Amino acid sequence: MRRVVLLVLAAVAASLAWASPVAAHPMPHSVVELETGGDSVGARLQLPAQDLSLASGITPGSGAGWKPAVRAYLAAHLRPTTDGRPWRVEITKVRLTDAEQTSTGRYREVVVNAVLTPPTGVDPQRFTFAHDAIVHRVVTHTVLVSGGGRQLGTIRTDTRSMTVAPLRVDLDEDGTWPGFAAMVRLGGAHIAEGADHLLFLLSLLLSAPLLAAGGRWRGALPARRALRRIGGITLAFTAGHSIALAVSAVSRVELPAQPVEAFIALSIVISAVHAIRPLFPGREALVAGVFGLGHGMAFAFTLAEMRLSTGQLVIGLLGFNLGIELVQLGLVAVALPLLLAVARSRIRAPLRVGGAAVTAVAAAGWLADRLGRDNPVARFADSVGSHPTAVVTILAAAAVATGVATALRTRGRAPGPRAGASRSGRAVVGWSRGGAAGGGVRDVDAQGLAGSGVTER
Amino acid sequence: MSIVGVLAAAVLMASGCGSDDDKDTATSSSASASSSAAGVAGVVNAANAFLDTLSDDQKKIAQLEFIEENAVAWSNLPCGSTCRPGIEFGKLSDAQLTAAKAVLKAAMGTATGTGFDQAEKIMLADGVLSEQQGSGQAMPSGGTPPSGGAMPSGGAMPSGGAMPSGGGMPGASASSTNGQSTSGYGAGVYFLGFLGAPSATGSWEISFGGHHLAVHLTYQAGKVVGTTPFFIGVEPKTWTASGTTYAPLATMHDGMAAMLKGLTSDELAEAKLAKTYSDVLLGPGQDGQFPSTKEGLAVSGLTDAQKQLVLTAIKPWVQVAADADSATWLTEYEADLDKTYVAWSGGSQLTEHADYVRVDGPGVWVEFVCQNGVVYQNQIHYHTVYRDHTRDYGGEFSF
Repeated sequence: MRRVVLLVLAAVAASLAWASPVAAHPMPHSVVELETGGDSVGARLQLPAQDLSLASGITPGSGAGWKPAVRAYLAAHLRPTTDGRPWRVEITKVRLTDAEQTSTGRYREVVVNAVLTPPTGVDPQRFTFAHDAIVHRVVTHTVLVSGGGRQLGTIRTDTRSMTVAPLRVDLDEDGTWPGFAAMVRLGGAHIAEGADHLLFLLSLLLSAPLLAAGGRWRGALPARRALRRIGGITLAFTAGHSIALAVSAVSRVELPAQPVEAFIALSIVISAVHAIRPLFPGREALVAGVFGLGHGMAFAFTLAEMRLSTGQLVIGLLGFNLGIELVQLGLVAVALPLLLAVARSRIRAPLRVGGAAVTAVAAAGWLADRLGRDNPVARFADSVGSHPTAVVTILAAAAVATGVATALRTRGRAPGPRAGASRSGRAVVGWSRGGAAGGGVRDVDAQGLAGSGVTER
Repeated sequence: MSIVGVLAAAVLMASGCGSDDDKDTATSSSASASSSAAGVAGVVNAANAFLDTLSDDQKKIAQLEFIEENAVAWSNLPCGSTCRPGIEFGKLSDAQLTAAKAVLKAAMGTATGTGFDQAEKIMLADGVLSEQQGSGQAMPSGGTPPSGGAMPSGGAMPSGGAMPSGGGMPGASASSTNGQSTSGYGAGVYFLGFLGAPSATGSWEISFGGHHLAVHLTYQAGKVVGTTPFFIGVEPKTWTASGTTYAPLATMHDGMAAMLKGLTSDELAEAKLAKTYSDVLLGPGQDGQFPSTKEGLAVSGLTDAQKQLVLTAIKPWVQVAADADSATWLTEYEADLDKTYVAWSGGSQLTEHADYVRVDGPGVWVEFVCQNGVVYQNQIHYHTVYRDHTRDYGGEFSF
């Protein structure tokens, strides 16, 4: 048991490590986002003010002349071409904002919008992107170029030759329309990395295998009923967010992000509190469906930002939703044995209440944050980050740990034929008896064990 | 994310009730590293004495394979164990920590102001940053991902995807260096690892570092064959604690500034680079990316006094290795001086953001740059790197 616990701890630690932000440049880099819009390409440039200043001599934000100066500077350095033929570059907007990247601290950056138009008859999807703003001068600067939700490449000085090579851009190839498979992946990644969606569902499922009576959670439901409930909740959440996703995506309605995000945080708070004390016992599926609508609207933001054509949208929607459901299903499948085992384990009360309490606090922090109150809880919850591997690893490890613990306990209790062989089992029994659980709960657990048959050998 | 926290809490609860019968026995059996033994043998003894203090699980974290993937996995950033191998100092017992420091003293020399003494002050500086931030827990101001469900979606992924200047951990080696989790600032967030088994016969490397620090000392058949890459930086560049004023990179700064000050105005003009450097060129992830043409002013045309200033300037970096080894190394770099170049950019006083200086020889490569502070945004801080054109990581890998 001790070893299992150590393994699980190691897994938790490792997952936390992976969840930390990846190393990046300590000096902020430039970002260029490209987007096809019919016969031209829209570009959005983020230029860190300090390096821009070093490279151009312009001091952004000072005096009236800095914006025209930035336009003139970019005219010389933002140069898309096709076979040597230059495109027309029209800068539509220049402004100064605050920004922050990993490990950089806060800094000022200049954001520029531009429209890049190829010569008549030239394919607007493929071009040579000779963009060397800042990097022509600041050797240690880097430009990340993206388009259609993916990284297209990096423009930086090749230190061996001390030259800056232009980037070949192909927006068509897996470009703004990434294809069905990519949409499935995107959907999967979206839910796996969106901690809030999974937290909501897991919080609801936490109490699903339990029986509510007298305003408290009591004994475990028989496995079959627990499974049916878990299935019902998952299905209802799926139905809710699928409907909302489809409606908001196809109708292209522009939803304000903040209330939707706040609604989602609220849904987690409620479902976490419900896991501590039953608020709506037996109606979990209904609640999952209703709150699922809100989660679906949030999914739609991702699709909306891709600005797909209607045909692409319908197929993309299917793929995106399929990805979401696959990951969600996988997660429930991994969580299922854990949920069942925990419901029958001696430590289920502290596990459930502790887990739900932490979740409720984190979600309350998010809620406050999304209502405009920046707070340390939300910042911490965010900074811990999220990682699909972490979730799956921990769930699997915890399921194994709980299963092993329960199995050992069962073996220790049953007067087996090889009583002498179960030394480890006995040790664990000794631990269980000395452990936290009170006498009343023990009977329920014993029933649960006998009834489920899951852990008996 | 709190699923992680939930389960970690649950597991901790479970383990709290556990029996203690097979508790880790990480007591110090032989922490008394034989620092009397000279040279590499002394380092090997100290390393093995340290390893003996570790539990099996700790050993798995501290001892890795000597392969390129593990060797190049370092960073100057406060990214904890996600970007570098080794076991975290803050998680060692007192006896283990003493043994760990004995390794580094044997390997990095005992001089004051360089080697391990300097490294320890960089760790103190990170403690200062941690206090300044109010918490050593959270990522330093940056690193806050978009909350909850919002994918970066249509936009770029500035910090995740591309890792422009490297320093990222290759995926596979993340699993081989797992087990520690801290990121952010802190005097204890420094990691010591061994690539390969410490021995007086085989090839192995000491990898030691954290924020603003990356030390790589490579040994082969009982000899020091690599003292680089060595990244050292500091923020704040000077501070006072308990009446003592610290300025761990002052010697490096002053040596470089004195070297430039010793040049005539014509020489300075020739040494000046056309472009701007707001960081070191060959930081993490830039292994082997030395410019093929040396830029700046040839040292061969300088007076003996000026040449001496060049040698004095690079000396504190070379002293990352134990005293006798760094002396050998320095002699070689001295012999190379006529093929060495000095270059600078920004201001030659080295006081403002993007003031930069470089010494580039057939072997030696030292860069020093001033950069605006991240935590103390109203003052500059220093980044520096020492590499060797042919002997980074002991020349074990070709880039």
